Amino acid sequence: MTSIMGHPAGGEGIGYSFSQPTAANVKQHGFYPYTDNGGSTLGITGSDFAILAGDTRSTSGYNINSRMVPKVFKIGGEDETGEGAQIVLSVVGFAADGDALRERLDAMVKMYKYKHGKPMSVSACAQRLSTILYEKRFFPYYVHAILGGLDEEGKGALYSYDPVGSYEREQCRAAGAAASLIMPFLDNQVNFKNQYIPGSGEGHALEAKKAEPLPQATVEALVRDAFSSAVERHIEVGDHLQVMIITRAGIQEVFHPLKKD
Amino acid sequence: MVSSHGVSGMLGEDGIHVDMNHLKSGEVNMAINFKDGVILGADSRTTTGAYIANRVTDKLTQVHDTIWCCRSGSAADTQAVADIVSYHLNMYGVVNDEAPSTQVAASLFQELCYENKDALSAGIIIAGYDPRHGGQVYSIPLGGSLHKQSFAIGGSGSTYIYGYTDAHWKEQMTEQEGIDFVRSALSEAIKWDGSSGGVIRMVVLTNKGAVRHLYLPDNGYTGPGVTN
Amino acid sequence: MPGFDFSNYNRNAALHARGVPLPKATSTGTTIVGCIYDKGVVIAADTRATSGPIVADKNCEKLHYIAPKIWCAGAGTAADTEFTTALISSNVELHSLSTGRDPRVITCMTMLKQHLFRYQGHIGAYLVVAGVDPTGTGLYTVHAHGSTDKLPYVTMGSGSLAAMSVFESTWQPDLDRDGAVSLCAEAIKAGIFNDLGSGSNVDVCVIEKDKPTQLLRNYEKPNERGTKERNYRFPRGTTAVLNERVINKEDMKKYVTIENLSGDTNLAENMEVDS
Repeated sequence: MTSIMGHPAGGEGIGYSFSQPTAANVKQHGFYPYTDNGGSTLGITGSDFAILAGDTRSTSGYNINSRMVPKVFKIGGEDETGEGAQIVLSVVGFAADGDALRERLDAMVKMYKYKHGKPMSVSACAQRLSTILYEKRFFPYYVHAILGGLDEEGKGALYSYDPVGSYEREQCRAAGAAASLIMPFLDNQVNFKNQYIPGSGEGHALEAKKAEPLPQATVEALVRDAFSSAVERHIEVGDHLQVMIITRAGIQEVFHPLKKD
Repeated sequence: MVSSHGVSGMLGEDGIHVDMNHLKSGEVNMAINFKDGVILGADSRTTTGAYIANRVTDKLTQVHDTIWCCRSGSAADTQAVADIVSYHLNMYGVVNDEAPSTQVAASLFQELCYENKDALSAGIIIAGYDPRHGGQVYSIPLGGSLHKQSFAIGGSGSTYIYGYTDAHWKEQMTEQEGIDFVRSALSEAIKWDGSSGGVIRMVVLTNKGAVRHLYLPDNGYTGPGVTN
Repeated sequence: MPGFDFSNYNRNAALHARGVPLPKATSTGTTIVGCIYDKGVVIAADTRATSGPIVADKNCEKLHYIAPKIWCAGAGTAADTEFTTALISSNVELHSLSTGRDPRVITCMTMLKQHLFRYQGHIGAYLVVAGVDPTGTGLYTVHAHGSTDKLPYVTMGSGSLAAMSVFESTWQPDLDRDGAVSLCAEAIKAGIFNDLGSGSNVDVCVIEKDKPTQLLRNYEKPNERGTKERNYRFPRGTTAVLNERVINKEDMKKYVTIENLSGDTNLAENMEVDS
């Protein structure tokens, strides 16, 4: 296009002789609805029990939102206290998604009992949770979930999930901010990784210590030790430790103090 | 090795934080001529983003006996520039055995602000009294140009008082009229501008020297007045 | 050539452009405070050093010596606060020797701001400078970009908001020594408990005219480590030994010089070891 004025065409406005700032600093506009609320969770099973635990600190950046936001929930209880529940879910990551996920799973499990007149098995609940997560494959629940309960034989059952529903039954699992601190400790103390039986052989012939289900008191102590250690070295973990112990007798919930700095 | 101060905000993916905002000072300030000299005035708020890093800042900086400046923009940049100018003016005073004129001071400021315009974010108002020229007010906005004015306003809060100052300005005011003009204009800017606030500091420069004033928000910026 | 070595700048810029992440610096995402009182000045700091969300040191020292009666609390990049204060300390001592006078707080503050301004904020040192000198008591903050403030009470670091809330709600003029120390300790504790970047213990430094400076290391320890419930000692032989080779001292002497130190503990520096 030709210009009838003395200045180069194409540009609107006054024809300054010096260069105009180009498209005044281009701003990237975006929407990111996820927040990392920190914290850690941990689950360990035994022969007749499962333990799920999590700290109760909720963070955002360098701030503490609250010192008492539980991450472990009873699923499929008869009322809001969770009375009568046999399954426990822990969620860590983005707390709002965690709550939404818990709510959904809780409703599903309750509906199952209403429709079929019997409580949902842990394995069925585990599969259902996977489906719920995968439904949101392209806008995931930003959480690392762990599901715990007792299986059909009464043995401790533990399932851990990635944010889009891939899951696996395991003996033990740590998730969240301090997962990388706690998991190696669990490998060593629960599955006895890197531990050999003294004097059982020479060099490569040395016999590895075999993992076997641990007694409940031992596991409870391990969980508390794992968290009191994680608190020392991870800034997003602290305040209180919430522990849920699932046995044939029901679900027992206890809180322990953690460091608050 | 880079890293953080993290006054607020999220942990970076590598634990390395984006640099903290520059401390911004001088959200509103002004200088005026009056019958016997000049008056400088400023609020006292220094901010880092939304945080008030200093609520009683002294943005009226002395660079010679009766040559002062109002700093606005980056606190670090304006302090550094004022320190350099102060050094040169004091050398000038000693070498020539005569106080520098306000114009000399303004030219020094301009030199620094213009030659380093890419690195600086500084808006400075210079006001001074010297026996030969009486009171003078100069303004150096962002690019480093120099403007001699009968009065000057600066800082983000100044946009709210262009109309006010224009409507109420009078040449050859008395000292009390000048003080009232500055005080009411600044309190208006503080009222409307979120990033201006705190106390109002003033300096009156006449042949009698520099006199400091302070006006507190507690009593609607009416007092206490002279502080030295 | 004195100063920083920039010879790796281009290489690192190229590596970073190809996706190699920047190294993690230890930062003292910190709470530091200072407060003047009738006869002197107090500064205080927490003792946590972090690397991202991980605690790098649970009991580090953030109060730095500049001169016998000028001390500095540092926030920001640990290395920058350490080296900047050490450099200024050195220059302040030389200046004091050359002038034959006691160093002044304002001199020290000016040297710091000019050094930091020259580096345009790339030296991430956020400091609280305090001390007494022949002109009286001095308390300043110095930001990484080189701006300074002079106030009767100051806070800096990620916990500065928490700490400032204590000052703004409970500070009063005419504090005495003990009042200033406990106020500073309270402000640091507000940072320790409410800011994730701050934690562990409270260090305090009291500087007063005609009195030796007191460095109260771990003045308060509100976060003692708890005891573990289980014993994690492994029985001897738990770790597999795949092969074993003994190199004795005589053989080593072929490659390096070996000298035996006497039992004098002054020879080997006493190093602080984490619990």
